[in-house]
Amino acid sequence: MHVIETQNLYKEYTQKFSKQKVNALNDFTFNVEQGEIFGLLGPNGAGKTTLIKILLAITFPTNGSAKLFGTDVKSHKAKTKVGYLPENHKFPSYLTGEQVLMYYGQLSGMKAGADMNKRIDEMLGMMNLTQWRKTKIKKYSKGMMQKLGLAQSMLSDPDLIFLDEPTDGVDPIGRKEIRDILAQIKSRGKTIFLNSHLLSEVEMICDRVAILNKGDLIKEGNVDDLTKAENIFAIHTVEPIAMDVKQKVLAVDGNAGIGEKEVNTEAGIEKLNKIIDTLRGSNISIQTVNQKTSTLEELFINVIKKDNTN
Amino acid sequence: MLTIIKNTFREALAKKIFIGYYIFYAIVILIMIFLVNMDSVEGVMSLTDSKMLVQQVETGFLTISWNLIIFFSLISTASFIPSMLEKGTIDLLISKPISRPMILISKYLGAVLFVFISMVFLLGSIWLILSLKSGFWDPTFLFSIVWITLAFAVMYSIVVIIGLTTQSTVVAILVNFFLIFVLCPLLSVREAVIFSLVTNETVKFIFDFLYYLLPKPGEFRDITTSMINGDTINMWKSSSNAETGIFTVSWLSPISSVLFLLVTMAYSVYYFAKKDY
Repeated sequence: MHVIETQNLYKEYTQKFSKQKVNALNDFTFNVEQGEIFGLLGPNGAGKTTLIKILLAITFPTNGSAKLFGTDVKSHKAKTKVGYLPENHKFPSYLTGEQVLMYYGQLSGMKAGADMNKRIDEMLGMMNLTQWRKTKIKKYSKGMMQKLGLAQSMLSDPDLIFLDEPTDGVDPIGRKEIRDILAQIKSRGKTIFLNSHLLSEVEMICDRVAILNKGDLIKEGNVDDLTKAENIFAIHTVEPIAMDVKQKVLAVDGNAGIGEKEVNTEAGIEKLNKIIDTLRGSNISIQTVNQKTSTLEELFINVIKKDNTN
Repeated sequence: MLTIIKNTFREALAKKIFIGYYIFYAIVILIMIFLVNMDSVEGVMSLTDSKMLVQQVETGFLTISWNLIIFFSLISTASFIPSMLEKGTIDLLISKPISRPMILISKYLGAVLFVFISMVFLLGSIWLILSLKSGFWDPTFLFSIVWITLAFAVMYSIVVIIGLTTQSTVVAILVNFFLIFVLCPLLSVREAVIFSLVTNETVKFIFDFLYYLLPKPGEFRDITTSMINGDTINMWKSSSNAETGIFTVSWLSPISSVLFLLVTMAYSVYYFAKKDY
């Protein structure tokens, strides 16, 4: 059973005044497995928030189906094992940090009592908010609110947590703390669905990502696989490459980039092997051959540009 | 459900308007304690006189303050629904394993229960003061707590539906103001006043139709005062005597108002359950 499962999700919005139809999601099918940290990427208006909202039945799909733990999201029971931190969340400002956790804990089905109090203590401690527990949250900074939101999403020990921009407004130290907490949650077999604009962060945290653009799923896969640049290889040699050898290499791949002890090629596996043969035939020892990787940010920009051009 | 009701109470108490609301109630109670003079204990007034005086004070108080109390209660609670629907709040609420109808009904009941408790404080105190001062212990006045809460509940269903569809507190308050102070009182006296000026049957039908369709918060007060005074209450049709000016209320008024409440709330629940947030 998949933790999250969608089948041909389609969402169309009608704009209020112009009555123009906007496709927020097109035929969106994907799964998330237990224990994964899944990242959702895309430019503004790509349909990321719509997808999360459909999965939590905050918004309804025009067509298609979505399930959490095998239960249709239309049933509120599907959300029993789910935590959620929305982007720009608003907690009742008249409550203290402790009361906020108590309120949302009870809404999540927790029973008021010693167990819940213990869990609240744990969460506040984890977020370094213990000394602020009795303070009204209208006095909290944005970073503190974000941490409280995260504590709220994890309070009932859910098996699946949706986080929409969890590090928004949090300082670098706080971000690192949040990343560590997420890694800790993952190690306990929990599933995290992360929506973040901070691509470097997603790259650090996520196992798998999906890239959305204009409602379409344009790329999905493991972070390691996606960031491996296709057919771009770097050959490092032990000896310097002489000029005559460089000429031979250029005869194989006219676009190869040749340094003193390095050859870069994008010409594919076959030509890579021919270049290696050429170098070896010239008595040059090969130290390493690496498939080059790009950052998630580079991949994201390339993929979106390509999709927009198409 | 209890969690949302409890939080609605907290929300109400956190609002400054409620502090003003309770200060006003406390002043009314203090006036009753210090200014109302009933010396039946010293034998100045007979028990019958005391009874009549108590009834007059009770009905007089209800006549003057009924609509105002309902309207102030609506002003104080009208923001509950729009604030619940704010982005960042509603998302989180719906993401919890509670059905949408349950969320809305809990919020509604929280507001109604809060007003009920406020009425127990205000009207219960007044009853206690009058009874202690007069020695006339008639619990009929206490029914006004139930009737005024019911009248509020009916009018609050309008706040809920307007809050859901427009997310505006101001619109909800304005519509209620118009209904409580203009349209509903006008419709109550349509036979004695309007129909004596209008001869067109279609116009009469429209007024009748609106009268039976819309809630009648003022007639909840008439039911209460009639009960206190031991007056007749018609079964199905309210009537007003053009010569004496006496208005006789009917049980149809609360029945049709409660039906209005049920239909309005059913639509609100349906709308809330289907809406994208």
